[in-house]
Amino acid sequence: MRAKESEFQRKGVNLAAIGLGDATYARMFREDAHIDFPLLIDENRVAYRAAGLRSANIFHLLRSDNAEARKRASAAGHRQHKLGKNPFQLGGSFVFGPGNADLFAHVSRTFGDNASVEDLLGAIK
Amino acid sequence: MPQSFAESLAPMELPDADGRAVRLGSLWESRPAVMVFLRHY
Repeated sequence: MRAKESEFQRKGVNLAAIGLGDATYARMFREDAHIDFPLLIDENRVAYRAAGLRSANIFHLLRSDNAEARKRASAAGHRQHKLGKNPFQLGGSFVFGPGNADLFAHVSRTFGDNASVEDLLGAIK
Repeated sequence: MPQSFAESLAPMELPDADGRAVRLGSLWESRPAVMVFLRHY
């Protein structure tokens, strides 16, 4: 996503990430991943729950789509950072607009099930 | 009417990596915002 940051900027949208863990952890990740957009911390998963985000279980690790997603990520040069204290928490991507409009929502069903940057950009007129 | 995700999240305040409190709704008040919830860092 950070590689496409300029495309989001061209569209005039704000970009922010929300993670678990604490501030030290977040700062390390920010430096390691070279991200310039806001990185917010939801240590108690309050926002994760409000966004309807799910947790995986041990069996998700065995799914073939997980292996494929790991291969894709590795081929794209991504590597896994620390897992943190909630390794089974799944993520999601949203586009919100003025007036609290939900313009796009993707709730991950398993590991590696991520919205594409094109989907996110497509939600912004 | 069920609340939208944006409505549910808008009043919440979360700290950023530098400890500054950010009200989530302020991010999409005047223009759209892409919000990515990370699975982990």
